Amino acid sequence: MMNGNLMRGLFLMAVALLFGIGAFNYQLGKFSHAGPGLFPLFVSGLLFLLGLLTVVRSRFEQSTPMHFKLRNLAIILGSISGFALLASYVNTALAIVFLVFFASLAGEQPYSIKLNVKVAAGLLLVALVLHKLLGLNLPLI
Amino acid sequence: MDLLNNLSLGFAQALTLQNLVFCAFGCVIGTLFGLLPGMGPMATISLLLPLTYSVPLDASLIMLSGIYYGAQYGDSVSAITMKIPHAGSIVACIDGFEMTLKGKTGLALFSAGISSFIGGTVAIVVVATMAPVLGSVAELFGPADYCALMLVGFFCVSFVTTGSIINGFAMTLIGVLLGQIGTDINSGVQRYTMDIPLLSDGVGLVSIALGCFGIAEIIKNLDLNNQHTPFTGKINLIPTWPEFKRIIPSALRGSAIGSVLGLLPGGGPVIAQFGAYAIEKRFSKHRHEIGQGAIEGVASQAAADEAAARTSFIPLVSIGIPENPVMALMLAAFIVKGVQPGPQMIGEHPALFWGLVASMWIGNCFLVILNVPLVRYWLSVFKIPFAALFPSILFFCCIGTFSINNNLDDIWVTACFGLLGYLFLQLRMEAAPLLLGFILGPMLEENFRRQMLLSRGDFSSFMTHPISATLLTFVFVAIAWQLISFFRKGGRPAVTLHETEAGV
Repeated sequence: MMNGNLMRGLFLMAVALLFGIGAFNYQLGKFSHAGPGLFPLFVSGLLFLLGLLTVVRSRFEQSTPMHFKLRNLAIILGSISGFALLASYVNTALAIVFLVFFASLAGEQPYSIKLNVKVAAGLLLVALVLHKLLGLNLPLI
Repeated sequence: MDLLNNLSLGFAQALTLQNLVFCAFGCVIGTLFGLLPGMGPMATISLLLPLTYSVPLDASLIMLSGIYYGAQYGDSVSAITMKIPHAGSIVACIDGFEMTLKGKTGLALFSAGISSFIGGTVAIVVVATMAPVLGSVAELFGPADYCALMLVGFFCVSFVTTGSIINGFAMTLIGVLLGQIGTDINSGVQRYTMDIPLLSDGVGLVSIALGCFGIAEIIKNLDLNNQHTPFTGKINLIPTWPEFKRIIPSALRGSAIGSVLGLLPGGGPVIAQFGAYAIEKRFSKHRHEIGQGAIEGVASQAAADEAAARTSFIPLVSIGIPENPVMALMLAAFIVKGVQPGPQMIGEHPALFWGLVASMWIGNCFLVILNVPLVRYWLSVFKIPFAALFPSILFFCCIGTFSINNNLDDIWVTACFGLLGYLFLQLRMEAAPLLLGFILGPMLEENFRRQMLLSRGDFSSFMTHPISATLLTFVFVAIAWQLISFFRKGGRPAVTLHETEAGV
């Protein structure tokens, strides 16, 4: 099982490296005349140190397990991505129906088509109000 | 006399029909979302921040403020009746839920509602008198002092929200780095944009906030399979005279503590509640009853909660530095509307500032009506099944993101931050400091580069300015204290807010 504390430290170091290495693509300059890369490099350095400290600390701390439930994550992100795709290439009305029916697959509650129809109808109404009354530029149809 | 003139200007501004409607709307929405499991002021303001783009400046700020303190009210209702604590109502669970178990739900709700009203009213007086004074002090601040002040804010928020300076500070640094994405204002160079046009203006605050607080929280609630039994007990709201007499002194003590703690960097409702509860346990006439369902245990924390929520506006409007993540979102709302909070704000926009102060009191009146006589209707919110709620919240996340630039591609960015937010939750990394770092990051960079330019790259200049030297000494002492306590505990980590919540 993955140790959450160790993973946290490694994650921080990875983010620091990502931004720190990226900073070398820009002019660094000196502290008195800083270029666009200097400040992010400075901050990344600090973050890397904190990541290192977290990794060292994880050796002395009790291991904290991580529990990923990928199913819910995949369904929710899938429903949002589907919404964005359908709204871009078809229309928002279909995107709303997809969002409600696909997102409802997440969790452990019983799947209710009747409830989903009601929720989708309600959201379509909200979208219509936002479009007509508040002037939101939604491609509804 | 000046104060009265200013307040009359504020009330004239706040009592326009438009502002009254937006104030009421903010209070209703704030209370509603404060009641919902997994939704607090952060998520609510994030969700409704896009609405402010199409609403006039004063109305949008009045609405967002209403959402903030409305969510604080709603929070305590769910804590008292069903022991559902959000971050802002942990203490309300202790005595509030004990009172519910004893069949005194109505009394607990009345105590919380009236005490919140008292707390809010006291804090408004503090805001009206202190904000202009602090604004004149802030004129003494130079770039080094601003940098130091932001660092103090980072450290305090890191410690308060995560219990560990290392974890919290790391999150603020990630936020600062995310704030680097986009065009560098000094050189015009595009940084970390990967040649994606969408990123040339930087990552949207709303995408980060909705991803980390909206979407990630939904996934967490689904993972935990959170199901709550609706409250169906009877509610008798009218207290007896002896019971009412017990509320007032506790509420006043809580108001004073909340007003002070709300002012401090990193402070805010959570710290204020704990502080007021501890004081009540020490000094109340009925201290032996506290923890077993005492009126004082509910009244003091509710007053402190509301008072701190309002006085936390003072550093934002007078210095321009938000002292907690919710205030950071408020800062974003100010900036979106073209107003830069700071020492000059009160002088340049008196109607806006005093209108906001006056609207706080009007909002207080709305909230006491919503949360005392009408509280039983709010409890029916718990009957909405989560299966119906979360697709709707997802929809609002998508629409909220889209409405910023009328660009559907922004939804992808929000989805990415939803994934990142979920990863943060799994790694026990609190996202709130990240948001503060993201908002203050560009300001920190600007002041840091300016100070380095002025001092010709000399870091010791941060210690030669009295204000920055004092603030940085505070930061060093805090770090040293964390390190000492870590080694004295033999390497055991500090207790986090999550663990505190779980323990209630």
